[in-house]
Amino acid sequence: MSVTLSFEVNGEPARLSVEPHARLVDVLRGPLGLVGTKEGCSNGECGACTVLVDGRPVCSCLLPALEVEGKQVTTIEGLVGPGGKLSEVQQAFVDKGGIQCGFCSPGMILSAHALLEQNPSPSDADVRDALTGNLCRCTGYAQIVESVQLAASTKRQKKGADHA
Amino acid sequence: MPFDYHRPKTLEEAWRLADSDAEARFVAGGTDVMVRIREGKIAPRALIALSGISDLTRIDVGPPLVLGAGVRVAELQSHAGLGRALPVLGQAAAQLGSVQIRNVATLGGNLCNASPCADLAPPLLVHEARLRVASAMGTREVPLASFFVGPRASVLGPGEILSAVVVDAPAPNARAVFLKKGRVRMDIALASVAVLLETEGKHCVKARIAAGSLGPCPMRLAKTEAVLTGQALDDRGLALAREAAEQEVRPITDVRASADYRRHLAGALLERGIRALMNGAQP
Repeated sequence: MSVTLSFEVNGEPARLSVEPHARLVDVLRGPLGLVGTKEGCSNGECGACTVLVDGRPVCSCLLPALEVEGKQVTTIEGLVGPGGKLSEVQQAFVDKGGIQCGFCSPGMILSAHALLEQNPSPSDADVRDALTGNLCRCTGYAQIVESVQLAASTKRQKKGADHA
Repeated sequence: MPFDYHRPKTLEEAWRLADSDAEARFVAGGTDVMVRIREGKIAPRALIALSGISDLTRIDVGPPLVLGAGVRVAELQSHAGLGRALPVLGQAAAQLGSVQIRNVATLGGNLCNASPCADLAPPLLVHEARLRVASAMGTREVPLASFFVGPRASVLGPGEILSAVVVDAPAPNARAVFLKKGRVRMDIALASVAVLLETEGKHCVKARIAAGSLGPCPMRLAKTEAVLTGQALDDRGLALAREAAEQEVRPITDVRASADYRRHLAGALLERGIRALMNGAQP
């Protein structure tokens, strides 16, 4: 028997009928068509399905969809600005080669985004710690850490300019 | 596997739901339960989620310290008052899973899951934590040391919910540390050890040692504690403690590690923990 779920996704209200056992990843990729969220291991280990719930990274493969009732969910689609402009973190992943096959990238980028919201000047160790739950089988992680550091520095410069 | 999903706002409502469906089971963050359902290890007809019950998410730094069972692991890691009152719990929380898991997994879930490797259990065991177990019939307190009865088994009866973890103020000179060895950073523990010491000079006045992944459930190492009590914490004393711990643990061989290696880790982590506390440094 379906139940009604209301939440906010990428700043827009969503109200839809879901099966009670549906996981958040099922609802995002299915009825909402937000296929930027990837499902890898389905066990909470690879982090490909990472989305932000009220700004915090979670594995959408482990979270019953009904747990986001009334909450704000951000998927990779939500980071893109007007006119398709990539966010600082997305652009940095492109510029530094933090993306190869791209399957881990949405989760990786959302985890990095959440880190930089909390900590604008992370050390490399902070970055690696924040990305522990996101596996990449292509890049070897060095370019990913560089990407996050580039994004951090771009964001800091931008913030400095805004305040000037 | 389809299941129904209830999200009560109060404990009373949760008990009513459990009463009306004997095959429903309680779930907290669900980071273990959802995996077990997917793997077909359990097939509950309904889940009663405790995540919407605000009474379960309180933190009162006390003393006594009272932690709601629904407190997220990430909050154990970042809560400033808790970091002062019981720093060793934050150390363990920081080593549990990934950011994504810690944002969802709860204190109560980690304990009720009753895995031998539960990272939050050893630090709470050395602080002699008590668990408040609530049911429609009333609330009872259970020492954490007698909560676990085997792998994935606890004393919780039908309709009982772990509501809070209570910890009395530690002695002012007591210091504790938690060490975990995993294959990689976010792996479960191959072995973990929590050490609480009260010392006078180089002598150990009181020791409490607890171990994870080193027996059928997280456990205190009473014999090792006895060896340490009154012991000079020099190389000889540490060697005796290490030997006692290696004898006392009851590890198994599984896909992650052999029993022999785990036995070695028990001693090594114990020694490393004691040395860290003696040096006053974090390991």
